[in-house]
Amino acid sequence: MALQCRLSGATFQSLKLATIPISSSSSRFIFRTLPKTLNLALFSRHSAPKAPPFSVLIRTLSAPAVAAAPAAETSDIKVVKPQWNAAIDFKWIRDNKEAVAVNIKNRNSNANLELVLQLYDKMLNLQKEVERLRGERNNVANKMKGKLEPAERQKLIEEVFYFYGWFCELGKNLKEALTTLEEDLVKLRDELQIEAQCIPNLTHPDVPIGWEDSSKLRNMVGSPRKFDFPVKDHLQLGKELDLFDFDAAAEVSGSKFYYLKNEAVMLEMALVNWTLTEVMKRGFTPLTTPEIVRSSVVEKCGFQPRGENTQVYSIEDSDQCLIGTAEIPVGGIHMDSIVAESALPLKYVAFSHCFRTEAGAAGTATRGLYRVHQFSKVEMFILCRQEESDMYHEELIKIEEDLFSSLGLHFKILDMATGDLGAPAYRKFDVEAWMPGLERYGEISSASNCTDYQSRRLGIRYRPSESPSTTSKKGKTNVAATKFVHTLNATACAVPRMLVCLLENFQQEDGSVSIPHPLRPFMGGVEAIYPKSR
Amino acid sequence: MKGKLEPSERQKLIEEGKNLKEALTTLEEDLVKLRDELQIEAQCIPNLTHPDVPIGWEDSSKLRNMVGSPRKFDFPIKDHLQIGKELDLFDFDAAAEVSGSKFYYLKNEAVMLEMALVNWTLTEVMKRGFTPLTTPEIVRSSVVEKCGFQPRGENTQVYSIEDSDQCLIGTAEIPVGGIHMDSIVAESALPLKYVAFSHCFRTEAGAAGTATRGLYRVHQFSKVEMFILCRQEESDMYHEKLIKIEEDLFSSLGLHFKILDMATGDLGSPAYRKFDVEAWMPGLERYGEISSASNCTDYQSRRLGIRYRPSESPSTTSKKGKTNLAATKFVHTLNATACAIPRMLVCLLENFQQEDGSVIIPHPLRPFMGGVEAIYPKSR
Repeated sequence: MALQCRLSGATFQSLKLATIPISSSSSRFIFRTLPKTLNLALFSRHSAPKAPPFSVLIRTLSAPAVAAAPAAETSDIKVVKPQWNAAIDFKWIRDNKEAVAVNIKNRNSNANLELVLQLYDKMLNLQKEVERLRGERNNVANKMKGKLEPAERQKLIEEVFYFYGWFCELGKNLKEALTTLEEDLVKLRDELQIEAQCIPNLTHPDVPIGWEDSSKLRNMVGSPRKFDFPVKDHLQLGKELDLFDFDAAAEVSGSKFYYLKNEAVMLEMALVNWTLTEVMKRGFTPLTTPEIVRSSVVEKCGFQPRGENTQVYSIEDSDQCLIGTAEIPVGGIHMDSIVAESALPLKYVAFSHCFRTEAGAAGTATRGLYRVHQFSKVEMFILCRQEESDMYHEELIKIEEDLFSSLGLHFKILDMATGDLGAPAYRKFDVEAWMPGLERYGEISSASNCTDYQSRRLGIRYRPSESPSTTSKKGKTNVAATKFVHTLNATACAVPRMLVCLLENFQQEDGSVSIPHPLRPFMGGVEAIYPKSR
Repeated sequence: MKGKLEPSERQKLIEEGKNLKEALTTLEEDLVKLRDELQIEAQCIPNLTHPDVPIGWEDSSKLRNMVGSPRKFDFPIKDHLQIGKELDLFDFDAAAEVSGSKFYYLKNEAVMLEMALVNWTLTEVMKRGFTPLTTPEIVRSSVVEKCGFQPRGENTQVYSIEDSDQCLIGTAEIPVGGIHMDSIVAESALPLKYVAFSHCFRTEAGAAGTATRGLYRVHQFSKVEMFILCRQEESDMYHEKLIKIEEDLFSSLGLHFKILDMATGDLGSPAYRKFDVEAWMPGLERYGEISSASNCTDYQSRRLGIRYRPSESPSTTSKKGKTNLAATKFVHTLNATACAIPRMLVCLLENFQQEDGSVIIPHPLRPFMGGVEAIYPKSR
């Protein structure tokens, strides 16, 4: 195809060269040896119209061709459009890639850091090209609005006709090129977002590295009670005291469901009531929450509703799920908003039912109330300033320690190792209480500091208070840049496991179970659960 | 054919036997299909109706009783939504983002009030001999159907779980009804009286119009439900007992309400007779249903397969020394709302609001709320 042409004799046929798809090889061939600048002197009032350097036209399309190459690669990959975007600091990840890589390895995460860095680089380059093209398109548009002298206008009528047409074509080609690039950029951003969102949270420096066995003991409270009679497990106690029914529930609902009966009902209510009251005393706002939420909110909190072996029940014909913890609906309260710094910390204590599929959970740790599909839970949730999250993490674990000690339980507090943390947690303390009937310690509570992992996904920011010195001369106050809050969550009371602890630890030789003193006022003064006469 | 036969006779009989067998198989298949179709059609037939039930639609419902009278206010009154906003008691906006419309968070004193209502109601009903329960809120859809609901119907009220035959319950009536599914209960065990606390989930598909504001119609709520299984002769009596309990509960709280004997057009398939309680809601300027007590006689028990064996009398012992077991009968089941939290909150907030913006807590609930006497506006 002829590349050079003089415009006066040119037909639009040759101009159509410009509309060759960017990624075609012929265009790459064409674009190889060309000057870099786009010369729009054609429209300058004082210069004689000349044939626009065709090479220039082509050059404007060449730069994208270079950037288009990698874009073409990514456009072959099927990129699922993310429903929402976490506000990830890609630059920070790149600047700290060694630390991020070590963290990924320690947590045994399957995040692909290399791919994230590659995609980020490509995206930056593509972005530059897009911006450049936009600039040029604006130039063209501006030039087209330029004025021509009437004399010149007359003189140039015919050529202007061509030139105008040519510039329309140029503008159109730029526009198409731009559109394609912009689409590629969007796809690239989406892929980058999806990959980067897999990167787990950073880790507190004191967290032990490794798996379950590497978790470190922080503290132990109390000691295992010595029994001078044969000890029963909670299932047997429950049967003898007519406190629950798993068999009927298996027929009505399936395994791992149950009815609570008689004193167990009052005990659950007393536990919830007492826990809420105690935590409220410490400045937490009580809440009850929706138990059906949009699946996007579940994801933003760091869970995977659609993953294999997901813990999450989904509602048919809907984008909704059942919550596995009140952490999710509470995290969602301040979604996509900016909180005043003076409002922080926001401290919530939420009561809800929780639903978990327990898919993939098998073995002995599933007996009776230890692992069930539905349970009541009181959850603490804090949103705070970045500098304060470590402190509130300590505060939360202290509250838990106080609660469980008041009930007379024997338990240990563990600093969980990196392999056990889960993507959102910067640091996690687990409480394991002694369950004499099961003859082992069982987890009754967990306190996590998620720093900004959830807030970057939920979009929860705060605006640091302004200082007077930032007021500019114009009298307009400079608004400080927003920061992401840090979020923390901690179990105040998970009822089934608490029932296991209370029944097994406080059983008496005569088959009765003593009610811990703090709970008695919340149970109408009942002091013990006695075997019923038959 | 087991007898001795000539070979030719035997051959003839074998042919006949084979033809009979094929004919039988085909007929048996037809019988099964016919039974299935009969079953499906017959299951659509609604329960019988108590002779005293008025015939007609909503307007034909008969007033049984009215308790109290509408409070006279000498200041402009607010509806529960406005009261809730001013006292920071609920948040519908955040819930709309997180979950969708008709969801809500309860906050502050509203949380304590919900717990006090549940606790007090359970305690009161337990005093009357009911066994307290909490129930699964996910159940097999077959159980939902056996109770007379239609999980897969158009405009169904029932949420279904994906990739599963399970549903969310709309009322504890369902899991409680299921407890004695497919079993024979000793007559001496009757009546079985349960009071169950659960969360309830309803799609409210098809519900539109003004009766959907705020807490009046929501997708998720807490409820205390009474459920009785009894002998056939006793269900009318227990129906009266249940509505009496409801009357006592709502009077204790100081509510003004009317009790209606619902007309035939409003009964719903399972109910032989249904009493609705409608309480005065001054903010909504009308009466709103807060409770319902139904006698389902044997409609549910025939589906759930719950029977009882009447006690034997000594005279039925036959000569062989083998006791003749009396034929089983189907139990009668009844259910009644002891407390549906959101509508109760509407009643309490709207009826007990004060001029200064506070809301008085009814006396019976105060001990269950740590002695709190009122909800006051928070200083800002």
